[in-house]
Amino acid sequence: MTETTTPKRGVPLWAQITIWVFLAGLLVLVGVTLGKRQQGTVQPGDAIPDFTLPLFSGYEYEGKSEVKLSDFRGRVVVLNFWASWCKPCEQEAAELEEAWLFYEPSGEVMFLGADYVDTEPEARSYLKKFSITYPNGPDMGTKISQMFRIRGVPETYFIDQNGALYYVKVGPFTSVNEIKTLVEQKLP
Amino acid sequence: MIAEFGFGVLVVSFIVTMYSGIAAVYGAMNKSAALVESARRAQLLTFPLLTLSSLVLIYLLVNNRFDVAFAYEVTSRSMPTYLKVTAWWGGQAGSLLFWSWLLAVFTSAVTLRKWDRDIEFLPWVILVSSITLTFFLGMIVFFENPFTRFWLVNGSVAPSMFAPSAAATVFTPADGQGLNPLLRHPGMVIHPPMLYLGFVAYVIPFAFAIAALATGRTDDRWTRITRRWSLWAWLFLSFGLVLGGRWAYDVLGWGGYWGWDPVEIAAFMPWLTGTAFLHSVMIQEKRGMLKQWNMILIILTYALVIFGTFLTRSGVLSSVHAFANSPIGPFFMGFVTLTLVSSVALLIWRWPLLQSETEMKSMLSREALFLLNNLLFMSILVVCFWGVIYPLISELATGQKVTVGPPYYERATGPLFAGLLFLMAVAPLSAWGHSTLQTLGRAIWKSSAAAAVVTVFLTITYTQNIYALVGFFLVALVLFATGHEFWRGATARQKAQGENFFTALANLMGRNRRRYGGYIIHISMALMAIGILGIEIFQKETQGTLAAGEELNIAGYTIQYRELASWNSPGEGVNYTRAVVDVYENGVYLGQLAPRVDYYYDAQQNMTIPGQRSTLRDDLYILLVDWQPVSSISATFKIYVNPLVNWLWIGSILFLFGVIFAAWPDKDPADEPVRHRAVRDNRQASAAD
Repeated sequence: MTETTTPKRGVPLWAQITIWVFLAGLLVLVGVTLGKRQQGTVQPGDAIPDFTLPLFSGYEYEGKSEVKLSDFRGRVVVLNFWASWCKPCEQEAAELEEAWLFYEPSGEVMFLGADYVDTEPEARSYLKKFSITYPNGPDMGTKISQMFRIRGVPETYFIDQNGALYYVKVGPFTSVNEIKTLVEQKLP
Repeated sequence: MIAEFGFGVLVVSFIVTMYSGIAAVYGAMNKSAALVESARRAQLLTFPLLTLSSLVLIYLLVNNRFDVAFAYEVTSRSMPTYLKVTAWWGGQAGSLLFWSWLLAVFTSAVTLRKWDRDIEFLPWVILVSSITLTFFLGMIVFFENPFTRFWLVNGSVAPSMFAPSAAATVFTPADGQGLNPLLRHPGMVIHPPMLYLGFVAYVIPFAFAIAALATGRTDDRWTRITRRWSLWAWLFLSFGLVLGGRWAYDVLGWGGYWGWDPVEIAAFMPWLTGTAFLHSVMIQEKRGMLKQWNMILIILTYALVIFGTFLTRSGVLSSVHAFANSPIGPFFMGFVTLTLVSSVALLIWRWPLLQSETEMKSMLSREALFLLNNLLFMSILVVCFWGVIYPLISELATGQKVTVGPPYYERATGPLFAGLLFLMAVAPLSAWGHSTLQTLGRAIWKSSAAAAVVTVFLTITYTQNIYALVGFFLVALVLFATGHEFWRGATARQKAQGENFFTALANLMGRNRRRYGGYIIHISMALMAIGILGIEIFQKETQGTLAAGEELNIAGYTIQYRELASWNSPGEGVNYTRAVVDVYENGVYLGQLAPRVDYYYDAQQNMTIPGQRSTLRDDLYILLVDWQPVSSISATFKIYVNPLVNWLWIGSILFLFGVIFAAWPDKDPADEPVRHRAVRDNRQASAAD
């Protein structure tokens, strides 16, 4: 937005180069991201490689400060990605906790919460606000979410007793029954 | 058969559109008026063709034709007919057709204007419209076809346009999945069309800008022709944004209207540049300045429309609005690249022709303040753009995904919005060409004093929050300064013409629609700012599980849980769960509210309807979050108190009025010079001017 009355001059070369480099950079960036997104998330049927989720203190599981997926072979694992800044996550928080309380006594189902790109104080007050009791921890360096190639939060992954993914829910659950129906698919 | 017919018409319109673009450019190159005329008529033909194709789709939707995959996805037997019609834009494939149809409406309409005085623009305007329409139709024909049907082949069902093999038979599911309940809200029924209208309408100013660049006719003709188009585009876009906010407030159940979601930002970014354009184009008309800048702004606006649509529809950005993983990504990417590269190349080529005719003389003149306004809009744009693009950069560079949330946007844009409010009060008081601190000071001191009095009053009676007080001061300043402008103009006219005050005011406004429409818009923005300040700074919330008779207290309100009932409504396919609560304020009984949760059997999804009590002072907003089976009658509520939020909606209604007032196709003094010339030439100015 330069305002000059100097004789008619074109765009200086350095400015042209800057503009084109910027534009090319932007397009490459978007193109590469598009390529990644086209892969989609991990697909049902895929075996999920083992991962380790460190847990927030106060949310330890059987005294352990971190859990592995392989600890839960023989159980259905419901892995929920969430964040304290995520408004849609709030819609399903109470439902997830209720479903967890329903299945906890049976020992057949495990709920895990992976906190995605967040800060601990906010995450803690979120967990407290919704009285969440199942093991929760930060997804350090977004390693786990990248392994699942999640597209955003909330997303929930249902893993069967043999460690194979069988359902992906993108977006919030709208009722406890929805969660229960999905879990029951793999329960005897 | 009818589905094949709809698809056939679609293919024909795709070919016709492509032809019109090729004929236009070939005709322009070879100076063949006949060929350009043929292109114009082909362009005109896309409207009836796409209307026909759309009617076929609507017929399929309304008549429960669940063998059509799109109808299966977005309609069900229990949906009322009007919702089946609006399901047209309830999914990716249909909304792309809807988008194309709107595009055809606009591009056909523009070919109908009188082209006598700008015939050299015609082929280029057709070319730009045709490329855009070809692209969108191509996306539908090749990737997202709403007419695809289900076929039964060897016991398995597959979607396909035509029979995949000779033995295949059409498969018709018993019922459809039904429209996402969240989209069955009146706000959602009109929010997407408004937003699309805004998006699509910007293709016209963009096409004229490109035509001006291509032909080298870079005087202000293109801005004069497109001024009303861009005003209408801006109206639709703004209204679409507001409706989206209202929908979120009523339906999404988080007590807010705006979540800084990537899709919201994608729609907000063209609004920012579009608003900046509306202001800066005035400087070009009055002072012959900022030609280059206006060109940049209109190209940027259109590029942001396309880029934003691409980011959200291709799944590059994740969001609550995101469409399911879609194959259109790479194709769309090609179109985005074409748009950006060709417009930037044209702009660089014609840059020398776009020099200003005059120089900026005073830093306090109207044009300087407008420039400052543009700068602020651009700063907000940069904040938004960075927030959207930064996660992609960080993911690529470090392998770590980072997301920025509302706090980032709120902190970064807050002061910029405050600056805009300040300019809104001051800029209309400054003079074109030259203003000094003295003249400005004289014009504004009374309004400032009045605003200061209001602020002191609010400090004593309402809040001591410094951010809120600054905000309220600025709002009051805008209201007083703008109100003073109305008063000053009307009394001056009253004296000069001997009319009574109200006649004078009406005549004054009627003769300067654009100016006073603009002032009305400024007032409406100030009112909306009150609502935004209220909900951002003073919102309170609480949550609790209550047994019958128990109470929750929040901000002077007491909410007492009465009862809960749940029943089925088989005709609608919905299960309703409705709680009743008594509301007291400081012990005084106000009435009952009934938050509900509706469960839609077809879509297997809940919809939360808040119980709302709305006043000018605040909204009490109660959500039913959870409930126990009837035996142990207790329920969980989430309660928000949203102060002043009603002003947001009041402001937006006034806003609508202001824009229509300014854009109404009638006498406009800015048109006069053109019209005089036209009369002298014994020709009529085009109605589309």
